[in-house]
Amino acid sequence: MKILIKSATIVNSKNTILADILIENGRIAKLDRNIKENADREIDAKDKFVLPGLIDLHAHLRTPGREDEEDLISGSCSAAKGGFTTILCMPNTNPCIDNEGVVEWIREESQKIGIVDIIPIGAITKERKGKELSEFGVLKKAGCLALSDDSDSIDDSYLFRRALEYAKMFNLLIISHCEDKNLSSQGAMRESLISAKYGMSSIPDIAETIRVFRDIEIAKYVNTKLHLAHISCKKSIELIRREKETFPYLTCETSPHYFILTVEDVEKSNFHANFKVNPPLGERNDVEEIRKAIKEGVIDCIATDHAPHSFAEKEAPFENAPFGFVGLELAFSLTYTYLVREKIISFNQLVEKLSYNPANILGLKDRGEIRKDAIADLIIVDVNKSWQVISKNLVSKSKNTPFLNSELMGLVELTIHQGKIVYEKPFFPSIDLSSGE
Amino acid sequence: MVEWTKKHILEIKDLTRQEMEVVFNLASSFKEVSQREVKKTPALRGKTVVNLFFENSTRTRTSFELAAKRLSADVLNFSSSTSSISKGESVVDTIKNLESYHPDILIIRIDTSACLKNFLNYTKASIINAGDGKNEHPTQALLDMFTVKEVKGKLENLNVLIVGDIMHSRVCRSNIFGFQKFSSKVRVCGPPAFIPFEFEKLGVDVFYDLDKAIEEVDVIIMLRIQRERQNLAYFSTLREYVENFSLTPQRLKRAKRDCIVMHPGPVNWDVEISSTLKDELHPLILKQVENGLAIRMAVLYLVGAEKRERKTLRK
Ligand SMILES: [Zn+2]
Repeated sequence: MKILIKSATIVNSKNTILADILIENGRIAKLDRNIKENADREIDAKDKFVLPGLIDLHAHLRTPGREDEEDLISGSCSAAKGGFTTILCMPNTNPCIDNEGVVEWIREESQKIGIVDIIPIGAITKERKGKELSEFGVLKKAGCLALSDDSDSIDDSYLFRRALEYAKMFNLLIISHCEDKNLSSQGAMRESLISAKYGMSSIPDIAETIRVFRDIEIAKYVNTKLHLAHISCKKSIELIRREKETFPYLTCETSPHYFILTVEDVEKSNFHANFKVNPPLGERNDVEEIRKAIKEGVIDCIATDHAPHSFAEKEAPFENAPFGFVGLELAFSLTYTYLVREKIISFNQLVEKLSYNPANILGLKDRGEIRKDAIADLIIVDVNKSWQVISKNLVSKSKNTPFLNSELMGLVELTIHQGKIVYEKPFFPSIDLSSGE
Repeated sequence: MVEWTKKHILEIKDLTRQEMEVVFNLASSFKEVSQREVKKTPALRGKTVVNLFFENSTRTRTSFELAAKRLSADVLNFSSSTSSISKGESVVDTIKNLESYHPDILIIRIDTSACLKNFLNYTKASIINAGDGKNEHPTQALLDMFTVKEVKGKLENLNVLIVGDIMHSRVCRSNIFGFQKFSSKVRVCGPPAFIPFEFEKLGVDVFYDLDKAIEEVDVIIMLRIQRERQNLAYFSTLREYVENFSLTPQRLKRAKRDCIVMHPGPVNWDVEISSTLKDELHPLILKQVENGLAIRMAVLYLVGAEKRERKTLRK
């Protein structure tokens, strides 16, 4: 299958170029002005932008174990619809992704589906129990590039040090969810005047920052790479900014909700569980600092922390409901609407945060940029189109997002993965799935 | 008298001073009814009131039940220990299922904070908050304020001191918002772990020293201490807690001469309050119980009675 994209305005992290793109054998075969070539499909991208496929370092696909909330098909479709072509899925599944069997199964199944590249994140410790290290080498051979226990973050500093040392030997990336669970002590929202006013059990921001400090110190001591997940507060940013000046192996991500929403939005929702996430939404000055850190490059990437939950689970009282938002279908538009349109970052920086840097952090040299010979993972977006977040139009099996009914700018119209059109609004050509539109 | 428009009683935060005054006036008239030979009025005849208690509280539930019965409503008691909640049914499912009885008023007690406004999506009934987690307990605050008003003759410009576990107290939060709306000043006193984050920003004065906090106060509300808190290091030993935060006759002398002391009950004598004060303070605590009934009749009436009937009761 040959695809020719005409008159594309190509947005890479470092440049914007006007060219035609010829895709052949799953790769970008040619990148030039006025390509004359007979293709199976010619797409006119005039007035649209072509971006490298987005890469998400942090998604929960609930499979195996909670296929009622998300499975590999719905997760793949949700990703492709949101412009993602590569996603990393967290190991808090049942069974846990702590052995080669589960890794290989997810790899094979997702390749059969063929909509996006799903790369499992292996658990650092067996069953994420924080006791014994899993077999890093075996996980790597099976296809893992990164390891994390995510929200079951490792409290034992000795074990965390050993994990970083062992990961260094296999050149695996450790992704740390920074939370001192003694301090967060079953809180439901950020400790704030609002939590005080409503007697809401709460999590202080230092529960994150203290762990950021510990993890960086251990990584520096071991002298190995460390990636910090979903950074949410000003204090953590200040620490990371300072450490990054001297420690080059440190990278971090945030998620769209942390540069948009605050505790006041939690109050305005009357404490709807669709506003409950971990780490919790912060104050206005946290939002400002995160925006600044994204702009400066202190924050390397934007990850979704896509966390599907059933409707019933999110109907529960705020304090009893589980944490997390779905985000794969929203991350691009949220970043475009709240950062690019508000002129906090450029469109190129959006590509850097959502594609180029994640590829780099994972050491994936064949993606993250539109150039000759790269994998043909790319998306066509219309930034002048707005759309409304409506639950029935989300293809994820779960609809738990605080952005329901919001109007967002920037629409992914077409997603190409490995040279194949996997999503063309509103259809997924390779799959029989009514998109609900 | 202002026209009553609220369908629900969820938080004192949402009530105006005028609305609270309406409740107090009505409670006074219901108190009279309670002193009559025949204590029932037909105001809620034909209405269904459900006591939906996801957390145990015999005292509050009994008070609401009696209030509803005095207004001639049909009362259904539904508590978590006897219900399908214990069989894994969710709180929201329970509310949805109760809709088939077409209840007019749901009185809800639950252990999670600030969850009631989202429940409004699942029922057509009025909701009265009988305590939601650590958020609010509006009828308790209304009865506390009503009691103060009866004794002091006013609610304005008083110094109100609340002592103890401020953090976990819905009674405390409701009283703070209530008294503040009458331009009274509220002080809170307890060990720092019991004082919520940035609490001064709510306009309350924070004290750790009860001897200082008590000076010049008109009203003291002593909160019940849950002994489990000790295990979570909110304070050290109960002995030390008592030494610092128990109300003793000596401490009480530092307050204004006509200072009154209230407690949402049940009192742990010799923990929150020295038992030597029992005889002196007990009558007011009993008065609180009596006033609780009148206040609950008033709020049930206001959210439940037909508009037409509400007018006939005005004097
Ligand atoms: Zn996490």
